[in-house]
Amino acid sequence: MRISGLNHLAWGMSAALSFSLLAVTAGAADDKSQDRDAADSVKTESPIKHVIILIGENRGTDHTFGVYKPRGKHQTISNLLSKGIVNEDGSPGAHFSLGQQFSVAPQPLFYIGAPHKAKAAYDNRGQMPQPNTAGAPSAQSSSSPPFAPAVLAGLAAHDPSPDFTSNTDTILTTGFTSLAANSLDSRVPNAGILPNGPFVLQGPNISDDDYTGDTTHRFYQAWQQSDCSTASATKANPSGCLNDLFPFVMATYNLNDSKVPAVQGNFSEGNSMGFYDAEQEQASLLKTLADRFSLSDNFHQSFQGGTGANHFMLGTGDAGFWSDGNGNPITPPASQIANPNPVAGTTNKYTADNNFSNCSDFKQPGIAPIVSYLEALPYRPAPNCATAHYYMLDNTNPGFLPNGFRAPSPATQNMLPPSPVRTIGDALNDKRVSWAYFGGSYNDAVALSNDAVTAGTAGVLNSSTALGEAALADPAHALGVAYCQICNPFQYSTSIMGDPAQRAAHIKDTVDLLADIQSDSLPSVSFGKPDGLLDGHPQSSKIDLFEAYVQQVLDALEAHPKLKAETAVFVTWDEAGGYWDSGFIQPIDFFGDGPRIPLLTLSAYSTGGKVNHTYADHVSLLKFIERNWKLKPLTDRSRDNLPNPRMRDDQAYVPANMPALSDLFDMFDFDHEVKQPFLE
Amino acid sequence: MFATMRSTVNQGIIALCLALCIMSAGAFAKAAHASEFSADIVSRDAAGTVIGAVAKLYVRNHMVRIETPEASGGFLLINGDAGTAQFVRPALQLYMDAKQSSRLTQIFVPVDTQEPCQQWQAAAGNAGAASAAGEWRCERIEDDIMDGRRAVQFRVSSPVSPSSQRWIDSDLQFPVKLLAPDGTTTALEHILVEAQPANRFAIPPGFRNFDPRALIERVKRSDAWVDP
Repeated sequence: MRISGLNHLAWGMSAALSFSLLAVTAGAADDKSQDRDAADSVKTESPIKHVIILIGENRGTDHTFGVYKPRGKHQTISNLLSKGIVNEDGSPGAHFSLGQQFSVAPQPLFYIGAPHKAKAAYDNRGQMPQPNTAGAPSAQSSSSPPFAPAVLAGLAAHDPSPDFTSNTDTILTTGFTSLAANSLDSRVPNAGILPNGPFVLQGPNISDDDYTGDTTHRFYQAWQQSDCSTASATKANPSGCLNDLFPFVMATYNLNDSKVPAVQGNFSEGNSMGFYDAEQEQASLLKTLADRFSLSDNFHQSFQGGTGANHFMLGTGDAGFWSDGNGNPITPPASQIANPNPVAGTTNKYTADNNFSNCSDFKQPGIAPIVSYLEALPYRPAPNCATAHYYMLDNTNPGFLPNGFRAPSPATQNMLPPSPVRTIGDALNDKRVSWAYFGGSYNDAVALSNDAVTAGTAGVLNSSTALGEAALADPAHALGVAYCQICNPFQYSTSIMGDPAQRAAHIKDTVDLLADIQSDSLPSVSFGKPDGLLDGHPQSSKIDLFEAYVQQVLDALEAHPKLKAETAVFVTWDEAGGYWDSGFIQPIDFFGDGPRIPLLTLSAYSTGGKVNHTYADHVSLLKFIERNWKLKPLTDRSRDNLPNPRMRDDQAYVPANMPALSDLFDMFDFDHEVKQPFLE
Repeated sequence: MFATMRSTVNQGIIALCLALCIMSAGAFAKAAHASEFSADIVSRDAAGTVIGAVAKLYVRNHMVRIETPEASGGFLLINGDAGTAQFVRPALQLYMDAKQSSRLTQIFVPVDTQEPCQQWQAAAGNAGAASAAGEWRCERIEDDIMDGRRAVQFRVSSPVSPSSQRWIDSDLQFPVKLLAPDGTTTALEHILVEAQPANRFAIPPGFRNFDPRALIERVKRSDAWVDP
């Protein structure tokens, strides 16, 4: 698209100077007809002919639906309100102590089940780390959310990006903190003296329309926060995960005990304990969808920790690993290998907070506590760690740029070498079932990638840095930095991203998702991921911005009743974002599961405000696709091999046959079709 | 600025760019002249057939305005004195650094017929182009006549760009033609020397600068950004 072929004088203007994505969009539907026709010939297990999976960022079940009362007849839910941890107005309830958090005395090595003797509960007068603004925006900006109103009005009127629509024209200007960064978030009622437990993000100065401070969500931190030990196991909680070290780990993993602010690397503090009150009109669109369709209250992030690994699991049912780029595992640079053991003389400061571990080696730092715990569980789940494989535990950019450029030096660029792990895309290709991943601002990211290749930075720098530099040089495509590379599991894959034809056919932009719906050419399987402005991530986005993205897709579907009638929309998140959750966790292998995240299932066969309790995680979405389109499990080690759970009446949330994962078919009643609008 | 950022890759480039920045201010000042004119910018292939859209060029002293259908919704403003190039979008009431968005801003700048390389290299540096680094050569070939106007022909090369030929109008002190190795040309046609209104070269009051740095900083707070 760009004119930067420096040896060619047939120059022209970059079409994107107009901020326009239209030109790219126009060419996007070219190669779909073949897939679509092939897909139509594949018989499905259910009346569902299209699946759209919309993935937000960083919200847990209690965090979002902690105060929610199901609307369906005889429906129950496991949440803060039902457990009495909080009242309907968000205030501490009769069983508030079920959410209490602890600190831990210094230990010599990393642990995931803190010794009982070493634990001490915080008091109820502000001893627990308090909410912090961290990196939330303190004011409006002319070039970044929250925008100055005049700027956004111009963008909304003239920019065709799905980011700037009537759905967002107000809420992209609001929610700044008016507070200093990395300071006490005094918008939270009683901040500074909050008692020991969850607190509601609601008050005269704070709501779901406000940016809030983020909280770290990484692999070893998340295992440690979950505080799992078989010694703590009960019948209702057989994994013994107490979930009671959330603020403590945040306050210590990156803090020298000198407590000098300059050496503190994060300001997560107590942010993990915040939650919204859906019964007080917070996250109102999500609540309305739950009221009218089906919600799972036993759906989980599949990987302990963060974005990249969870999206990878969503696309593969497995974890990525460091390789030579040709499928052979090799050892990554030492700077990439994690060591969560505490630095001597500190409470819990990790020695090396890095991204990769060889979990087949019991002697490596951090491995033994997790594997020993798994072996002690009654059902002894296998760690699923192949010999000499260093697995990607935390966010690492793919070895391909968005335009398909292959990073020549992944080790020095800190990017995962091209991955051989089979994806659901490969399986759908084999069956000639059409599919696509629609990433927000992908087209701009491709333009920036082209810039970076031309400038020579793509071959030297990490891809985030390279695209950032390209954005400075090409402001018209700056929105491309908000495209989430680690959210696209197919961008890691050699078979997809390394093949120009596959990339062109399957890796697209949000504008293409909307266009495909409007032109009735939606693939059978679609993954939709908003960009960083609309993904709902704390600090950089808001819940209501993700709701706006969801509504945009639903509105498009609403206008096409025939397509809508045979489509199931799953709305979920990549992970709980480090937010505390009170739900049961089923350990499946070394990598997870993690805390609960919401799953909304929207279709004509999943109406009535039901709440499903069957145990599930991201891989359940793969299992749904595989069952519906009659595919086999992706590999012999992928999690989609796990059986469906046998759930018991006396333990509604614990499978009798652990480890087990639902294929989500029981969220539907295919004998009972109800045609109704998505929203009232 | 962009070239300075690239210095993380090659520190040698830092010193060069800093030197260029210092030099460029003097270079632009040195090219002082008082030309006011308008023209069409036309590209042709080796056979002389017009390719692409015809753009419009306006010049008032050190200010240049370029309007092209390929940059719908706005215009480019080049300030030769300040060494800046900006893209103005009236509908959005925004302006932004043009940078690499167009090669036009690297070519159609006021130049000194004695030392044009300084201005072109400075313009390339301002655009953040890779060609700004290294040594440029502007070899004067001969005096020429272009559409009845006096011009000087140069052979121009930089470390990352192939050699091209460029003509500079002697009276206007402005490039009027480029000839690429593949035979394509980009030239000013229908030059009309006449007074230009000052407001044609000004960013309207109230327009805001779109600086992607704030956007990048916001994105760094999300999981879309991965710190290396």
